[in-house]
Amino acid sequence: MAPARFSAFELLLLKSRYPPDTASLLLLAWVYVSKRIALAEDQRYLEVLANGYRHSQDLDTLLEIARADLTAIQLAAEVVLRERVDEQAHPFLRRAIGLATSEGELSLRNHHILRFLSDLSGVTPGAFARLFREVTGRPLTPPGDPSRQDYWQQDEIAEPPPEESAEKHAENAPQPPQRPHHWQRWRLRIVSAHARRRESRLERDRLRQQARQRAEKRRQEEERLERERQAEAQRQEQARQADARRQDQERQAEDQRREQARQEEAYRQEQWRRQQWQQATGAPQPHYRVRLALQVLELEEHASPIEIKRAYRRLAQRHHPDRFHGQGDLRVSLASQRFQRIKNAYDYLMTTT
Amino acid sequence: MRDLYRRLGVAKDATPDTIVRAAERCNNRMLKADALSTLGNAAHREAYDDLHDLLGELGRLRAGLGMTHAPHWQGDAANDFSASPHRIVVRQELLTRQLEIALGRHQTRWRRRCWLAFAIVIGLIAAHIAGRWMS
Repeated sequence: MAPARFSAFELLLLKSRYPPDTASLLLLAWVYVSKRIALAEDQRYLEVLANGYRHSQDLDTLLEIARADLTAIQLAAEVVLRERVDEQAHPFLRRAIGLATSEGELSLRNHHILRFLSDLSGVTPGAFARLFREVTGRPLTPPGDPSRQDYWQQDEIAEPPPEESAEKHAENAPQPPQRPHHWQRWRLRIVSAHARRRESRLERDRLRQQARQRAEKRRQEEERLERERQAEAQRQEQARQADARRQDQERQAEDQRREQARQEEAYRQEQWRRQQWQQATGAPQPHYRVRLALQVLELEEHASPIEIKRAYRRLAQRHHPDRFHGQGDLRVSLASQRFQRIKNAYDYLMTTT
Repeated sequence: MRDLYRRLGVAKDATPDTIVRAAERCNNRMLKADALSTLGNAAHREAYDDLHDLLGELGRLRAGLGMTHAPHWQGDAANDFSASPHRIVVRQELLTRQLEIALGRHQTRWRRRCWLAFAIVIGLIAAHIAGRWMS
């Protein structure tokens, strides 16, 4: 009997109020841990969620588990798979997408993890792309492939996007509240303080909007450049493939011609050698027409007239066109050609020998 | 994403020299260029290794969950990083079995302790009688 040693996540699951919530919280922690830049607001978001699921003191353990333990993630995925219905999957996926894209760009790790989560929730690729666009406002682009040369070349060409999070954090730093230095005029001071705070808030909003617009323009330009590059690369590849195909075809045609020429030469050489040998041995060769006629009548070299007659009768019976009368005009015409050839052969043989 | 280590026939922790030699040896032009640009550069190789680990984990996860032919797991990544489902365990069943074992042991603990106490008492009595018989 093995002692019952439950791992940290198994204990959490067993003690939790609603295991699917704990499991989805672990998966969101996994998404958070795989981000490139982890913002403070994401941490706060996770804390709020954990409070909602009554796991406020367990969030740190969950983050540790998400970093290290693959079996726990598998267990969480199994729980989500078996006990979550399709309609309830969309809020979970939305949260995951929002968490993954809060810094702007989706990291490669998170791209693959989100695909895994959408498969877990039974969401098709089209529905997932729609969800992504709803949550982020940007269309879903396929992940880059770091095992390809093009990925690294494009990385070198494109400028790195500027760090907007630094700007935002600088603007988010709270302005110090204005204290009344002389308490006789404290009302005026407070009113002016309110006005200043409102102005600073408006300025902050304006700067944030400008930064966002700039970032959007840069992203659009980058997307356009990428699309153009991809289109050019595709065209070049197609041109190369077409050239390769043409060259292959030409080579094949040349090979075939060479082979045919060789065969013909070999045949001619054989014929020449046979003539030479026969002339040397001295046996008088029958005329080629005679040989042809004997071949048509399917006879050997020296055939007596009786054999010729018998062969002619046999073949004429076999190939007479009236035998193929019901099988169509094509058969009849072919048979009549064969019959003519046989008849000519017999006539020739009868007249010459 | 393709598993360049497997396609070059090289271990994951190979030295850069091994990788360059393996890349020179291979006949496929595209694979050679990709391997040299990705695994030849140290920074690129780190990023590639990171994603390689993640995809291996995802492959094993999917095999354990029965999602090896899911709509999002297609292409080069699925071809190279899918795991065979033979050696994979279903964690939830393990957990429930462990739980049942623990629960069973918890429920029979008083009975087991009574038997243990009884056995100890019998042993003491036997020792006492043996001592009496010896002396």
